Amino acid sequence: MADSILVVDDDPDSLDIVRTFLESRGYDVATATDGKAGLARLEEVRPALVLLDVMMPGMDGWEVARVIKNHPDFTDTRVVMLTARSGFSDKQEGLRAGADDYIVKPIRLDELATRVEKNLEARTSST
Amino acid sequence: MKIIACVADPTLRARVDGVAQRLKAELIHVSTASGPDFRSNGAGGADVLLIEMPGDRNLDRIVDEAERLGAALLVACHCMEDCDASGLAEAHDWFLMPADEQELEARLGSARRRSVREALHRNRRDAAELLRYEELLHDRLTGFPTLPVMMEQARELLETRGELTILYIQFVWYEKIEEIYGWQKLDDVLESTANGVSEFYRRHHPDSKSLMMVSHIGDDDFILITERPQGPGLAQPEKALKELTQALESFLRDRLETDHSEDIASLCGIYVGAATIFRNPKIRVERLIYRGIREASQAARGAKEWERSRKIADLKTLLREGAVFMEYHPIIITDTEEIYGYEALARGRRSGLRSPEVLLEVAAEANLLWELSRLLRKRAVEGIKDELEQGQHLFLNVDPHDFNDPEFRDLSPEALGIDDPDRIVLEITERTAIRDYPQFQEYLKVFRGRGFRFAVDDAGSGYAGLGSIANLEPDYIKLDISLISSIDTNFLKQNLVETLVGFAENHGAMVIAEGVERREEFETIKQLGVHLTQGFLFHKPQIAGLRR
Repeated sequence: MADSILVVDDDPDSLDIVRTFLESRGYDVATATDGKAGLARLEEVRPALVLLDVMMPGMDGWEVARVIKNHPDFTDTRVVMLTARSGFSDKQEGLRAGADDYIVKPIRLDELATRVEKNLEARTSST
Repeated sequence: MKIIACVADPTLRARVDGVAQRLKAELIHVSTASGPDFRSNGAGGADVLLIEMPGDRNLDRIVDEAERLGAALLVACHCMEDCDASGLAEAHDWFLMPADEQELEARLGSARRRSVREALHRNRRDAAELLRYEELLHDRLTGFPTLPVMMEQARELLETRGELTILYIQFVWYEKIEEIYGWQKLDDVLESTANGVSEFYRRHHPDSKSLMMVSHIGDDDFILITERPQGPGLAQPEKALKELTQALESFLRDRLETDHSEDIASLCGIYVGAATIFRNPKIRVERLIYRGIREASQAARGAKEWERSRKIADLKTLLREGAVFMEYHPIIITDTEEIYGYEALARGRRSGLRSPEVLLEVAAEANLLWELSRLLRKRAVEGIKDELEQGQHLFLNVDPHDFNDPEFRDLSPEALGIDDPDRIVLEITERTAIRDYPQFQEYLKVFRGRGFRFAVDDAGSGYAGLGSIANLEPDYIKLDISLISSIDTNFLKQNLVETLVGFAENHGAMVIAEGVERREEFETIKQLGVHLTQGFLFHKPQIAGLRR
């Protein structure tokens, strides 16, 4: 069965590109446009990996990551942050939120492919 | 089946008798003279009330009565107007007289089924309601009843026994538990304490039905209300009470040690206070109970104060006798796996003062931090200086607070008995925050001038960002444990460590990974270029002198 991926991003264009690209590589892709909707989709889809935009109105990406990683059902769900900056303090924030990896925006599609693959591999090896 | 009949018409009366007999129902006739009176006639538990419509057609009181009894109301009517009145009064059923026995039987049977059905429904609703209230009145974490539930039981107990004993169990912990082990651990510890209280009481009073427990306001204290301890101590009630509180305290401490670890148990304190209250008709029971709780909590606080002063006295003795011993945790060179140096870790030699966290906490309370630090430094150096091989280093933990100690500020390699000071690394742990950075940097400069080196502890933990690391210009950057655990599968951690390694190399510093427990973690940090490694994968902390 193909791995499923949930993408949460409030920018519909970016969401569309990521979805089309990941689907073309054979993943099942679910999407949401804000944090709350993302958590609802998470429960339905139970994805192997979540791509989370950091800057979202309402619940931001860090908060969503924290909720996912603190929930006993989703401890082995990989959480990859999509962030505009990659400063040291942003990464520390990511670490505190329990994120597994990050990708700097604007996203390069070949990088996206590698990060997704690597994280899914790491997930299988650690379970 | 139980039928209450309030009927004057003799024909109807006779038919009801016949039908009741056939249905094997219990039948009670009540007088109609002064209107139906159910209270004095054993009407409780009735399924059906059969009423002949009174002349004024007023059924209000009877409808209420039927409701109260939980019975179905059946009305015998003389005319159609009576029937309309029955319907308006919301009687359950009615019939026009004369009615033959068959009709009566059918009506009574259906009225009874109706009342049974309603009773079932009512019971279910009541049960659900009750359950909801019960839940509200119990503590979520421990499942213990709260004070309002207990108050009622306590009143009964006090009234039958004439006296009650209240035990107040206060739980205190050093904040470090949450910092080191996380809040989940603290919840676990509290839960074991609660379970321990129940278990202790079951064990000591296997047949006591009057055991009650309350988890009090807040999550760190419990109240146990029970009978006064009986047995050999009866002649000296005060003594029996004291024995009981001590037994409970030590039982709970043992319980924490077995459920968790000696380290955790040593970071917690459990204090029990007791009070006995006696029935006094002149004083409200609630007030008596609250008074008892207050008295017991004061006793518990007294026990805590006493324990605190005992610990401080213990620490003073420990300082006088130098009753500490040192463990040394090796740090290896990542590439060659050779020993690069040792971090000195202190342990107290007195029970209750074993863990370094407790030692420091008690010392801080007693204002003896400098004295303790001086002793620990001296011991740390003495314990290993003759065993250090060429090129090996000694890492000493230093708190920013230590720099306020004039004796520490004058610290020189000669005072420590070390010839080459660059083998001493002062590891700065930000237990207390650095308030005055410029002043602190000034101190560091002086120490550097004497040849000492510095390490920053817990880097990347969220307290020390790159900025504060840069400010201290350390020779070593010690990565926080949270950065190392599972680093092999977490790319964010890998990236952070990579950043810190790059930063260190630009500044001529070395990076140390601590808490390395798994081979995969070691392989990952090795790949990332981490210079030094410390962790159970290679070495446990060891007592000096083993190699001699």
